[in-house]
Amino acid sequence: MNPRLSRLSIPAVLLLWGVLILYFCLSGRIVSYLHPSFQWFAFASGVILTLLAAAVFLLPDGHCCDSHGSHALGLPSLAMLVVPILATTSISQDHFSASTVLNRRVLEHIEDLPAFTPPLDPPLPQHDGTVGEGTMMDPSLYLQTNTEGQILAETVDLMYAATDETMRSDFDGREVEVVGQLMPARTGSPDNNRFHLVRLFVMCCAADARPAGIIVQTNESLNFAEMDWVKVSGTATFPVENGRHKAVLHANRIIETEPPRESFIY
Amino acid sequence: MSGPWFSFTLTDFSYSFLSILFEGIPFILFGTLLSGVIDQFLPARVMTRLIPRNPAAGICVSALMGLVFPICECGIVPVIRRLVAKGLPVSSAVAYMLAAPIVNPITAISTYAAFRGQGPEEITTLRLSLGFFVAALAGFAVLNLPLRSVLKKSVLDQCGDVDSHSLTPHAPFTRRLASAMHSGTRDFLDVAVYFVLGVAVTSLFGTSINQEIFLPLALNETLAIPAMMTLAGLLSLCSSSDAFIAATFVSFPAVAKLAFLVIGPMVDLKLLFVYSLVFTRRFVAGLAVGLFLLVALLALRLGIVFQ
Repeated sequence: MNPRLSRLSIPAVLLLWGVLILYFCLSGRIVSYLHPSFQWFAFASGVILTLLAAAVFLLPDGHCCDSHGSHALGLPSLAMLVVPILATTSISQDHFSASTVLNRRVLEHIEDLPAFTPPLDPPLPQHDGTVGEGTMMDPSLYLQTNTEGQILAETVDLMYAATDETMRSDFDGREVEVVGQLMPARTGSPDNNRFHLVRLFVMCCAADARPAGIIVQTNESLNFAEMDWVKVSGTATFPVENGRHKAVLHANRIIETEPPRESFIY
Repeated sequence: MSGPWFSFTLTDFSYSFLSILFEGIPFILFGTLLSGVIDQFLPARVMTRLIPRNPAAGICVSALMGLVFPICECGIVPVIRRLVAKGLPVSSAVAYMLAAPIVNPITAISTYAAFRGQGPEEITTLRLSLGFFVAALAGFAVLNLPLRSVLKKSVLDQCGDVDSHSLTPHAPFTRRLASAMHSGTRDFLDVAVYFVLGVAVTSLFGTSINQEIFLPLALNETLAIPAMMTLAGLLSLCSSSDAFIAATFVSFPAVAKLAFLVIGPMVDLKLLFVYSLVFTRRFVAGLAVGLFLLVALLALRLGIVFQ
């Protein structure tokens, strides 16, 4: 490689990486890749890499020898640092397809989710017999409703409810509205009338995402593709299947919807 | 098992690749900038003063250094490369490299939190103890090996040439800082090449392999241990959060989850590539096989003891 180009390769690679990371952060694409607590680290590294690129370009290292070629990147290293990141940036669709979700197995029980803690016993009522504000005994905190009076719930709310008797009684037999991604149920649907409504649960980054889903039962014929975002309205039930309560939503209406800004749950 | 055992999707591979890259880069950058500072500002004599001269004591102290200087497995390799160049014995460096991602307060807290309701005290204590023990044993094994069979030639050359890249302590601070930046930058790009390779392989397996193939093995305690260890190697999780994933494998025996937590931060697909920056390929292969067998045997033994 031309020695001059070779010397430029280091700041160029640093700049490319820094700008790409900043692009993901500033465009909002980063929310599809990292847990919020890691997004700031990514942003900081983007800024530092960009500043380093400028500093390395403006302040050439006059001290250190170049006898081993350590100042320049060889062509294979340069290719390794440039091609994969550019290619994956252009190919990635910022979400997983059904193939990876199936490979990771849809988790139907809240105990199978990372960081699950068993529900605590509810606090005792206050001296006057009323329920304390800000406690889980105050259903208004988590039972928000839409204009049609349906409870707005997440898939994990219903999964939690399947485990906890108190929460179960809040949802059981009531109308709820849940948003998630549609995944055909490969097992546990003998009449072919069930699908999974899935959200991806993330600890650090998308690579560790675990699909958490409830079962939706419907008699409608579905005209949606796998992993389409849908809004399901229906009645929440918690039948015992294989010895455990399981959240099963009997759908009244299923409509396509826009993905939420943050597609993950944490 | 529902679905095929292997199904590759390029868009998923790209998505997973970028997410691991974005998660890991800040830690690698921190580690490499720290390595640049070590290069320019840490006199070689400090290392010889900090670490006991007795090799056994040196290895044990190094395996515990993560308690004071916690650093994750992605960022540690450039740091130990500089420390070795500054005079840290290779056996101590290996012990620190393997133990620090496990024997540190952040990992201890996250393990305890993740295993609430599943014996958090026992799992956390055993994880840290086994991590220390295995890392120290690896350090002792390296003690008896010739350096040229452990370190890459480029790293070995730096060992005999300790401060050749460092400016003298009398050089202006700003010049030394600039030099530290250049050292750190070179280290970053060196590690990044191997990291990209490792992340690519991890993403390939993380998105393409049907993880249900591991489930039938949960019922057999002997097979569950290597199955969980293999899974740890394939998933290449960060040591600060891997316990949350391990805890969800409720059908697997506790010793299998313990083996997952010990081997993961020491040997995984991306680390095999990153280790190749400092160590010879033969040593990396031997280290991986040796650690896998050692952790598996220890976990099996623990399983028998606790039955």
